[in-house]
Amino acid sequence: MKIQAQIAMVLNLDKCIGCHTCSVTCKNVWTTRKGMEYAWFNNVETKPGQGYPTDWENQDKWKGGWILDKSKLRPRMGNKAGIMKNIFSNPYLPQIDDYYEPFTFNYSILHSSGKFATPPTARPHSMITGLPMEKIEKGPNWEDNLGGAFKERSKEKNFDDIDKEIYSKFENAFMMYLPRLCEHCLNPTCVAACPSGAIYKREDDGIVLIDQDRCRGWRQCVSACPYKKIYFNWKTKRSEKCTLCYPKIENGEPTICSETCVGRIRYIGVMLYDAEKIMESASSENPVDLYQSHLDIFLDPHNPEIIAEARKQGIPDNFIDAAQKSPVYKMAVEWKVAFPLHPEYRTLPMVWYTPPLSPIQEEVESGKLGFNGIIPDVDMLRIPVKYLANMFTAGDEKPVREALVKMLAMRAFMRSKTVENSEDNGVLSGTGLTPAMVEEMYRYMAIADYEDRFVIPVSHKEYAFDAFGDKAECGFSDGEGCGNMENRLKNLFGGM
Amino acid sequence: MNTYINNLFFTYLPHIAMTLFWFGVITRIVKTSKSLQAESSQFLSKKGQQWGGNLFHYGIILVFIGHFTGLFTPEHFYHLFMTTATKKILAVIMGSVFGTAAVVGVTILLVRRLKDQRIKINSTPADILLIVLLLFEMGLGLISVAISAGSSVENYTALGEWAQKVITFQPDAGAVIVGHSIIYKLHIITGLFIFMIFPYTKLMHMFVMPIAYFFRSGYQMVRRGFTKLTI
Repeated sequence: MKIQAQIAMVLNLDKCIGCHTCSVTCKNVWTTRKGMEYAWFNNVETKPGQGYPTDWENQDKWKGGWILDKSKLRPRMGNKAGIMKNIFSNPYLPQIDDYYEPFTFNYSILHSSGKFATPPTARPHSMITGLPMEKIEKGPNWEDNLGGAFKERSKEKNFDDIDKEIYSKFENAFMMYLPRLCEHCLNPTCVAACPSGAIYKREDDGIVLIDQDRCRGWRQCVSACPYKKIYFNWKTKRSEKCTLCYPKIENGEPTICSETCVGRIRYIGVMLYDAEKIMESASSENPVDLYQSHLDIFLDPHNPEIIAEARKQGIPDNFIDAAQKSPVYKMAVEWKVAFPLHPEYRTLPMVWYTPPLSPIQEEVESGKLGFNGIIPDVDMLRIPVKYLANMFTAGDEKPVREALVKMLAMRAFMRSKTVENSEDNGVLSGTGLTPAMVEEMYRYMAIADYEDRFVIPVSHKEYAFDAFGDKAECGFSDGEGCGNMENRLKNLFGGM
Repeated sequence: MNTYINNLFFTYLPHIAMTLFWFGVITRIVKTSKSLQAESSQFLSKKGQQWGGNLFHYGIILVFIGHFTGLFTPEHFYHLFMTTATKKILAVIMGSVFGTAAVVGVTILLVRRLKDQRIKINSTPADILLIVLLLFEMGLGLISVAISAGSSVENYTALGEWAQKVITFQPDAGAVIVGHSIIYKLHIITGLFIFMIFPYTKLMHMFVMPIAYFFRSGYQMVRRGFTKLTI
């Protein structure tokens, strides 16, 4: 057993209001540089929709993630030779138009223009060429709140095995928000596909990073990532990605997207896992089994044997302590209300999602359909369970159904307790929950205090490297030693 | 051609060019190795990049291997397998096939760079001049293949002899090709010019060709994690 720690995240989609605060704060901190205008390390999509970049979930087109080739795991793009033969032109690389052409408006014309018969307008200008654009055809959130035609939106992959025509009718329409960021996978395809070896997963906290000094711009990682969360900077011509705000995480603070989330939907905690089981887990024959096999590699931080072994393997006590209090462990393993996004990509993602409840359809309210006992049947929820299952469990409805029932039961139980002042234990029968568990779920998922949501251990720098060598060095620079990009461009040898 | 000029270009210039080349390459790798990278513009515009990029790169790599083995294999060594006449036919066929592929590829890339607004605006003059220079050099190369095809075997053998005399520092190297067509000579001079400017251009990405990728394990964890340093 090789015990390792991973900083993981859970997003409670039941509470996401789609305000994009996470995206905007992330953008302001990380991607305002030239070449990255189009990139959103965190973005919020309205589902159903094709997303950003368009149709990212369609791996027949983009070849992201892993597949089983004769029971052996290999990147869907191809083995090493297959990846290398495409190094001069990557056929699976999205073009910037698959995201959107970044634009700004020429506001100065509003001040400087002469007299017009009509008021002057600020035309959009491309941030790539600086030229005026005829019209804006795409944006990072083009399908916000079901914008656009159902015909286009419903092309997405999660509608597989669903008779989607029903949902084109207004009275059956449904939607949910899906905030997305780098999954910091346990089995990242981007790392495996990088020819330069510039992408790495840190052993102490599992954050996946791109070493900008070693990235040579072969752009294989962009296609290898099934979540399309690696962005190619078209100016520096190197790849960049979500860093899980590692400078904050190292100091025990939540990422900027989590910190600023107004819905308080984000949870960050430590997960202990057995690194030796990764290959076996990711190689499960049937995609439906991947959710369970992913759960199987997590270790119980309360088990004295695991604690002793973790100590022996050098996991610091504050990481073990944080793992015991981890909100992620509670939601993913104890209550099983959180699920990985698209486990069928076989990357073992570590940003998990609680499926959203949705309004119960009109028939129930008008009394035509009864409740299943006390809590309503999850099949009456507006969002089809199959749709959620396609997103979170490779199509297996059972775990999603159970999670939704637990969340409905929690609501019914707490309503009876706080409104009617009586504990209705009947609602919990068959859900596997006890009143104590519900109280705790309620505390974490409904109240969601800062201290409960974020249990992040301060990292141990002394283990990572000898800091004495960094004494009196320059701080953050953009790469080539000290100084800014302007000076580097004056480099005798050219290049960036 | 005047013997003095001929000697200058074909006996001495190769040494000057290669000295500058290696000096520049080593300096750049030592001083600014982080600046070496593939400068792909595929992300901005895919159109023409697939055909252009692949034809050019695969073509030029095979042409390079052809030049290297063709010019520097000693006569008595290749005579173990083939006659000089066979080698010439082989060289003409391979040179014309791969040379054409590379020329077509680089032409597509040049047209793409000049026609596509996004690429054009985000290109530096160096990007465009380099493609023009490569096209010029490869065009001369294709013409000299045609000349070789129509001339004597001795004319062809002399090229290898010249190259081998150059790398063995023979003072009469230039004299070997003094009577050759001006096309060969322009091809050689342009080639040496490319070697001289090589370290200061994006051609340097050849030196970071990720060969090591084949030899590393697919799944890598770089940082040590929680194992205390022992200093």
